[in-house]
Amino acid sequence: MPEGTPGARSGHALSLRNLSKYYGATAAVDGVDLDVPRGSFLTLLGPSGSGKTTILMAIAGFVEPSGGSILLDDKDITRLPPDKRNFGMVFQGYALFPHMTVADNIWFPLKVRGVSKADASTKIKNALELVQMGHLAERFPSQLSGGQQQRVALARAIVFEPDLLLLDEPLSALDKKLRADLQWELKSLHQRLGTTFIYVTHDQEEALSMSDNIVILRDGQIEQEGVPGDLYEKPATKFVADFLGKSNFLQGKLATKQADTFAYVCGGQTLVQKGAPDHAKVTGDILIALRPEKITLTPQRPSTTNAVAGRITAFNYYGSAYHFQVGTEAMGELIATAPAWTCAVEPSIGNEIWLGWEPDASVVVRDR
Amino acid sequence: MIETKWSFGRLMVLGAAWTVLAFLVMPMIIVFPVSVTDQYYLSLPKEHISWEHYAKFFSDEKWLDATFQSVVIATSSTILAVLLGTLCAIGCWRIASAWSERVRTFMLLPIIVPTIVQALALYRFWIDLGIVDTYIGVILAHTLVAIPYVVITVSASLANFDVRLEQASRNLGASIGQTVRWVIVPSIMPGVLSGGLFAFTISFDEIVMVLFITSRNIYTLPKRIWNGIQDHLDPTIASVATLLIAVTLALLIMDLWLRRKRETK
Repeated sequence: MPEGTPGARSGHALSLRNLSKYYGATAAVDGVDLDVPRGSFLTLLGPSGSGKTTILMAIAGFVEPSGGSILLDDKDITRLPPDKRNFGMVFQGYALFPHMTVADNIWFPLKVRGVSKADASTKIKNALELVQMGHLAERFPSQLSGGQQQRVALARAIVFEPDLLLLDEPLSALDKKLRADLQWELKSLHQRLGTTFIYVTHDQEEALSMSDNIVILRDGQIEQEGVPGDLYEKPATKFVADFLGKSNFLQGKLATKQADTFAYVCGGQTLVQKGAPDHAKVTGDILIALRPEKITLTPQRPSTTNAVAGRITAFNYYGSAYHFQVGTEAMGELIATAPAWTCAVEPSIGNEIWLGWEPDASVVVRDR
Repeated sequence: MIETKWSFGRLMVLGAAWTVLAFLVMPMIIVFPVSVTDQYYLSLPKEHISWEHYAKFFSDEKWLDATFQSVVIATSSTILAVLLGTLCAIGCWRIASAWSERVRTFMLLPIIVPTIVQALALYRFWIDLGIVDTYIGVILAHTLVAIPYVVITVSASLANFDVRLEQASRNLGASIGQTVRWVIVPSIMPGVLSGGLFAFTISFDEIVMVLFITSRNIYTLPKRIWNGIQDHLDPTIASVATLLIAVTLALLIMDLWLRRKRETK
């Protein structure tokens, strides 16, 4: 990396050990253990009230944990004041200083470290260029659009080469198209800087598209963590399958068990499912999650192992895809999607169609 | 446009409103014609308009000295009140607990307790401290009355201040002191200045406390006017009053301008 590029030093690792935060008797964060690898992009994903922001604020030093510890490269920083932590942070709503120009906002972290504006000018310029804002250095924040303010906040958070970059729903206030553009930019910025990123969001699409690792939180506890593909393909619980993407849930009873598959009965119909990792332990009541895009729609009965007949009750057209609601006798209403340009069934309400899927298209999930 | 109906009831209400307004404003307006009288006692001009009482004010050492003393006292107590009141408001805002709310209410006591009661208490206390009839005694007393106004205006500014700006500052490496100096105070400056204007105006025309805690050394402008009225009805009082009204109006207009600036921001 060239001299003076922000964040040129290598990333740092962060660990949470049994971290808890209580407000009165209610736990906002309840015994969270987490390891963020050096230089990785980790996303804390969860609905509001899941504790994701509280964890981020504890890492930044604005929330004092009720129990547990926070380690940066094995150094305990739990009681360190926020200004001594050297973490960059991009706040929800950006939190740019309204009485300072863009350049002065970015100078601020260097100014408090005793760097004069003249000495900081190269770093300010580089940081602004990194986020393509070089031409607006003398504007005030109120004269910038949301996307531009977001870029300035990012430049301000990385100009002092922080050990860690914390991002608190940074894209939530932007419109959809801009959000998609900035996802690409954030990801490429992460690759160029090599800094460890910790990203908080409730938007599953953002989490899937940018992260190396995703941690899904529920009621202050970690529900499941892993790489995006694993979480999407192998959700362990109903909550994860429902929160990350969309899912149909099939409730059934175990019928017969083979070496690595089993048959189950759902609404009077026998279906075949590939076994879960704890295949041996599967007994009695079973919950299956089936992604809508993994269902094949055909006008006649398909040759797939599992096939269910149904009738289209509603559909939406999204340009690239159709989303269907299909009423079935055996298992009630199911959702299914198909690429619009290769859709095999005629999209019209009342049309009788077949839904088909293979035993490895769906997964066994726990109710909790 | 809504059509105006000139009914009897409406005329009555309008008439009453203007009468009350006139009652409030007339005494203030009347001092100006009195201040340009050609007589040697408080009266309206008889033969012609005369500026001699203004000239007397600007040449009489007694009046100039009183003005000087008032300016020194008002300036000093304003600086003290703004400093202490701002710190108190920021502290209460930052702690934001049930106790800080109680502290903030407690700070308003000097407004609630009658000034004459405070003056009496301070007089007793100032005797023990040995600061009766000194600059420091009056400055401290005026600071005390002015602090609540600063706390109120600064707290109002802080209510609109985004907590995340403070967090951003700390996160970027600024200490608490640097955050107060470079982020919080610049953002609440209109409130601080507004509180300062209040503090200055209050000290500049305060008389009850001054009458209690001063004797021969300290003569503020209001006290000189008070004495002037008791001795003889010198029209110079009217010219001083006119000047005071002009200064107060200027400060008020400044305050309104600051408020507008804060609102449009």
